[in-house]
Amino acid sequence: MSQQPVPERLQISPFLVLYLIMSMQIGIGVLGYQRIIAEAAGYDAWISVLGAGLSIHIIIWMIYKICGTVDGDIVAANAYVFGKKIGNLVSSFFIIYLLIFALAVLRTFIEVIQVWMFPELSIFWFSLVFLILAVYIVFGGFRTVTGIAFFCIVLPSYLLLTFSFALKYADFRNLLPIFDHSAKDLITSAYKMSLTYIGFEIPLFFYPFIKDAPKSQKWAHLGVFLTTIIYTILAIVTFTYFSEDQLAKSIWATLEMWKIVSMPFVERFEYIGIANWNLIILPNICIALWGSSMILKRAFKLRQKKGVIILALFCLIAINFFDTRAKINFLNDWTGKIGFGVTYLYIPFLFIATMIVKKVKNK
Amino acid sequence: MKQLFKKKMMKELEKEAAKQDTQGNTGQEQDNYLNDHGWEILFKKSHDFKKTFYVNQKTGKKFCFSFITTLIDESILQNNALPYLLERDFKYIEDVKKLIPIADVQISERNEDIEKKLFNGYVLLTLEGEEKCFAFIAAQKEIVRNVAQPEVEFSVIGPKESFVESMDQNLNLIRKRVPVKELIIENYTVGTLSHSGVAILYIDGITNTDNVDTVRQRIKEIEFDEITDSSYIVQLISDNENSPFPQLLDTERPDRVAAILAEGKVAILVDGSPHALIGPTTLVEFFGSFEDYFLNYLLSSFFRLVRLFAVAFSILITPIYVAALSYHYELIPKDLLSTLITSRREIPLPPILEALFLELTIELLREAGARLPTKVGQTIGIVGGIVIGTASVEAGLTSNVLLIIVALAALASFTTPVYRMGNTIRLLRFPFLFFAELWGLLGIVISFSFLLTHLIRLTSLGRPFLEPLYPPRITDFKDAIIRLPFKKQSLRPQYLRTENPVRFSKEKAKEKKDIDE
Repeated sequence: MSQQPVPERLQISPFLVLYLIMSMQIGIGVLGYQRIIAEAAGYDAWISVLGAGLSIHIIIWMIYKICGTVDGDIVAANAYVFGKKIGNLVSSFFIIYLLIFALAVLRTFIEVIQVWMFPELSIFWFSLVFLILAVYIVFGGFRTVTGIAFFCIVLPSYLLLTFSFALKYADFRNLLPIFDHSAKDLITSAYKMSLTYIGFEIPLFFYPFIKDAPKSQKWAHLGVFLTTIIYTILAIVTFTYFSEDQLAKSIWATLEMWKIVSMPFVERFEYIGIANWNLIILPNICIALWGSSMILKRAFKLRQKKGVIILALFCLIAINFFDTRAKINFLNDWTGKIGFGVTYLYIPFLFIATMIVKKVKNK
Repeated sequence: MKQLFKKKMMKELEKEAAKQDTQGNTGQEQDNYLNDHGWEILFKKSHDFKKTFYVNQKTGKKFCFSFITTLIDESILQNNALPYLLERDFKYIEDVKKLIPIADVQISERNEDIEKKLFNGYVLLTLEGEEKCFAFIAAQKEIVRNVAQPEVEFSVIGPKESFVESMDQNLNLIRKRVPVKELIIENYTVGTLSHSGVAILYIDGITNTDNVDTVRQRIKEIEFDEITDSSYIVQLISDNENSPFPQLLDTERPDRVAAILAEGKVAILVDGSPHALIGPTTLVEFFGSFEDYFLNYLLSSFFRLVRLFAVAFSILITPIYVAALSYHYELIPKDLLSTLITSRREIPLPPILEALFLELTIELLREAGARLPTKVGQTIGIVGGIVIGTASVEAGLTSNVLLIIVALAALASFTTPVYRMGNTIRLLRFPFLFFAELWGLLGIVISFSFLLTHLIRLTSLGRPFLEPLYPPRITDFKDAIIRLPFKKQSLRPQYLRTENPVRFSKEKAKEKKDIDE
């Protein structure tokens, strides 16, 4: 099923892939990944963060190989490997994956708001406004989605500086001794980073929308690399700031570090931080909605305008069912697991399958 | 003597015509020259339509002038047309061109031309025996305002001319600044009633033809009866008419139009409007004053940054006040909080009502000031600003901290160099206030996201409105938020996709010297 070429006025410059990938990766995971990874590998876990980040580059390379071979997106790739009917069925699984991802992000963010800012915040009304905003963005087309991704990385980037306040109280001896955990612990830790790292697989969905798509590969690698660096540094800052026992009780370690920030005109910086986090969450939802409605359009010929609204409505209804901490945790765990499955199991499989089919077809 | 004789004869002729009018002109219409023509019936209802008959002294042929007295200069007729037509050998209508010393004389047989020509200040001439043919003689009365100083875009340094209502005059001002044959002026007529002339200006070989085509097509597609000003055109041809943001820049400065033509943009002039339109434009362009180009680049960059800061301040400060005092008072440090609490101690209203009350007061003052004559307006401003402000604080309706904040925000909104954008900025504050009351800082960020999305989606003549911020183009930052020196401005803006992107050769401009050389 070859794809109609996307007209140039709808395409984006290759370097914007950097922002798309970073904005999709950085979401809610980063607010509290430190405790989860420290459970297995203790304060050696930053090595796992770095290692997991480096392993992503292989997957990125595979994604670009797959898309380059079929010259299209995930729907084209699935159709290439499995044939049209089964391919579309497999592709529709990605709609569910992206929707669960969006749900997990939005619901966790609402939980953060409820715990830190407004305990009484109505899930329904906030989701409604948020999803209307997301639909408005997706209606602007992929260029608008990319624009939001760009601004939502650039504008909140100043938040990185605020973690330097925690450095004042950093004790780097916390990290010592290095390598006192087994390789198995480190790998478990790296596996637990899935929820925080996933999002880099999105070139699969928008590959045809990149001008000179093969050129964008280096930007995709750079984006993943920058995210890895940010996560590693943040993990190190957190580990030096908290003692190991204290961290075990901090669900949102990143937010807790903001408590130390104080400026002449601002106390309690976490309010500003969480409000700003709204911007970081936004591209997650938008890209997920755009991607899933795009698959709907490509595989089932449903107009994207209708598709976005239907999917947003689905999110709006589904989000009300996750009303307790346990359920949210369950949702996040499974999002991480499915994400891991998609990126580390399905993509290598698709890669190998594509290569085989290519060989067969060339003969 | 001659004049007297003519008048007498005319009266006689008119009497004769009147007589025949009463008799009714059935059947004789063709042969009697003095009768009314069909097209005249509506004209005759207006008192400023005039029709006079004359007889040529040599050939004895009757001829007739019809014109709208209020539109033509009768002295042109008296001095440059009538004496020649009366005394010289005037046999055929074609002779007019040779006989009279007026350049713009047109001969036509089309009845449809009559209305258009008469209302453009032409005099219609018919000759006995050649009733089907008309000659149109140009005798426009020019009531032109003098070129005055720019008022909206005043600059201390730089040229002091501004556009007037006459398009010819405006084109003259622009032509003088761009005296090259590549400057193309295309003319269109728009409006079923107003028949307004609309001119599209661009420089051939520089301006992207797609941009010109877009403007041309949109102007041709305008369906409207009365175009009174270029503001109508802005709203009729802009990409998104539901946006509060102006998508074409308007200016009253001919020097600015000349400058943007050289950049590769398109200018639109409308007859009867002292404002030219410029497109495609970008958001940051609205915060650059044209005076920025007359100042050193360090100064102008600083002023631009100040303006952008002022805009952000103006939109955000009242919502932040409402958000902080309604929900996030923990955000405010102890010392500052005590000041705020002291000032708000006796205020019965919640912060949102307090803020709305003051914001609306400022809007009222502005509206009242704008509608009144200058001198009364100033008084109202002082009375309103000082008296109402102080009184409402003393009466315990608002806190003095908020009064300062709102006044500063209003002041900041007036720093935008383009009047239209200033209005937009003032409107934007209210949705922000609403969301701030709803969800505090979170609400402000959400309304900001809506604004950002709207701006990303907006285009000006099909070109992205937020450029160079998004799509990010580093080379275009040379003249956006800051302005680099002219030596660095060797390329035209990228988003215009000009046909000749190079303004001047960089190598020649760049001659670096070593120390003591």
